Amino acid sequence: MTGPRPRILVLGLGNDILGDDAVGLLAARRLRAFLPESVDVVESPGAGLDLLDLLEGYDRALLLDAIMTGTHPPGTILEFSAADFRKNDAPSPHYAGLPTVMQLADSLGLRFPEHFQIVAMEIENPYEVVQALSAPVEHAIPALVERAKVRLAPWLDELDQQTDS
Amino acid sequence: MQEPIQQAWNAAQNKANADYLKRRTISIDPITRLEGHGKIDIFLDSQGEVERAYFQVPELRGFETFSVGRPAEDMPQITSRICGVCPTAHHMAGTRALDDLYKVEVPPTAKKIRELVYNAFMLEDHALHVYILGGPDFIVGPDAPKELRNVVGVIQKVGVDVGKKVISMRRRIRELIAYFGGKVIHPVLGLPGGVSKGLNPDDLPGFKQLAEDGVEFAKFTQQVFKDIVLKNPDYVKLITSDTYTHKTYYMGLVDEKNRVNFYEGQIRVVDPTGKEYAKFPVQKYLDYVGEHVEPWSYVKFCYLKPIGWKGFVDGPDSGVYSVAPLARLNASDAMATPEAQKAREEYFATLGGRPVHFTLANHWARVIEMLQAAERMRELVNDAEIAGKELRAIPTATPSVGIGVVEAPRGTLFHHYETDEKGLIKKANLIVATQGNSARMAMSVEKSAKGLIHQGKADDGILNMIEMAFRAYDPCHGCATHSLPGEMPLIVSVRDASGQIVQEIRR
Repeated sequence: MTGPRPRILVLGLGNDILGDDAVGLLAARRLRAFLPESVDVVESPGAGLDLLDLLEGYDRALLLDAIMTGTHPPGTILEFSAADFRKNDAPSPHYAGLPTVMQLADSLGLRFPEHFQIVAMEIENPYEVVQALSAPVEHAIPALVERAKVRLAPWLDELDQQTDS
Repeated sequence: MQEPIQQAWNAAQNKANADYLKRRTISIDPITRLEGHGKIDIFLDSQGEVERAYFQVPELRGFETFSVGRPAEDMPQITSRICGVCPTAHHMAGTRALDDLYKVEVPPTAKKIRELVYNAFMLEDHALHVYILGGPDFIVGPDAPKELRNVVGVIQKVGVDVGKKVISMRRRIRELIAYFGGKVIHPVLGLPGGVSKGLNPDDLPGFKQLAEDGVEFAKFTQQVFKDIVLKNPDYVKLITSDTYTHKTYYMGLVDEKNRVNFYEGQIRVVDPTGKEYAKFPVQKYLDYVGEHVEPWSYVKFCYLKPIGWKGFVDGPDSGVYSVAPLARLNASDAMATPEAQKAREEYFATLGGRPVHFTLANHWARVIEMLQAAERMRELVNDAEIAGKELRAIPTATPSVGIGVVEAPRGTLFHHYETDEKGLIKKANLIVATQGNSARMAMSVEKSAKGLIHQGKADDGILNMIEMAFRAYDPCHGCATHSLPGEMPLIVSVRDASGQIVQEIRR
């Protein structure tokens, strides 16, 4: 890579052989076509400290992921900010989890995104080894992509201004 | 976001435990810092004493269906894709199963490359547990305020420089794995009979430096453990307390001299007095390993078949056995490398000789295994053969059955494939490492709950002490549950006889 690393990351998280868990990966893949090359789009099955590797060095990060609250119909889009995670100091099924990774980055003084957007989709079935999405989740992917575009727009504007100046 | 997730979890819990809801319940839900997710349910009797305690994880379905009809060569990739936590272990067990399936002898260079990658992985994974996942229990301390029982507390105690050292070592090890495997999370290194990529001699100096630094790092970690844990009489008392003790059988892979081996060897089992009970080639595992099913858990509980399932009980008459660091040290006669052997001698001398039955000693055993992994890396990169050219023996045999076993960080991992004559999968069975500890883990949770909760009183500190009982095993249910139910707070609910929550503790 020549030149400085882009500061905006779009990170799709999930497992491509665990049914609906793949939704974050698929959304990131579709989103790539709409974004300038200076934005990094990464698909990863990573969890825990992998997030540290993935996020370090960026200033803005948008995460696309699957979520199960059980209180929304599958396909519902839910949004969170970093503050939603920080205030909990909560445990995570992704073992070290985003809060731990953010704490670690803070403690070690690493360059880490100041701004997080987390756009997630309620899913139905991540407990089966299968390469297929449930219908409601599949149908909602375009909406997830659109929502991500809306959230990215201010960052892209900011990027344009910086490039112009 | 706490509210809806809490409701969802409670709803699922109520459904799963419908039979029990008339009793008072304390739930630790979900378990903090655990890979994958799970929950603990503690059921109290009318006096507020613990009646039973259960450890539960959700079930992963469809693995065999997904595998059937696929080429066996895909299995090391597929199995490593199921779990983002220990992909290298699955990849290696799958690769070893392919060697066995095609009855092919792996050339020395290829074997050494595999071993290098595997030991690097063990070092990294263990370091992660020592400093990040299990560290809060010991480095920070079980009695520390809850806001410090996390990675921030660990860094405060050991210093920012050590934190940076851990992260840097981890990154460099992962670069090594990626060098050979292409990708860390989904490696593509192993082929039946060999590996896909060799070592360019020009790159050797970098790897030698990494191995040296790895040994230094592992030695440093021994010192950290000694200074913080072993010099604190309260910690030592905790480790050796009856609450955290179980006298079971122990299992691990050993080499021809009965030394610990993570990559290959025979399976050795010792009884609760430390005497050899069995030693057998991995292909015979079904003669020894049985899986018991309980109605309240999706996890199958491994036990020794010749002895039989006698319930969740200790002793020589119970088939319950244990795997992972504590078990590997108990099931072997020595470590395979000199510094690790010295550390092992000190370990057994301090804890009263082999076998050690203290569950919390897993943490110390893990630190000793880090040293063996690093020393083995150093041996391998200083062996000229590792940069050889012969990377693969081409399989010629007609495939039918292949069984591969490695020591994953969390214990003995079994891959068993059966194929047609074209090598297409007809049957696939995995026994993941955590299963080998599942019975003993359930016993540990129950014993600690019974020892610590009385008259219905369970504060945050007590619940953390119960969690410590299973966190020592470094259990991973990543391969059972990769889903993302989001970030969930730890919620402890105490229910009255009608199932109503009367007390709630949040982390």
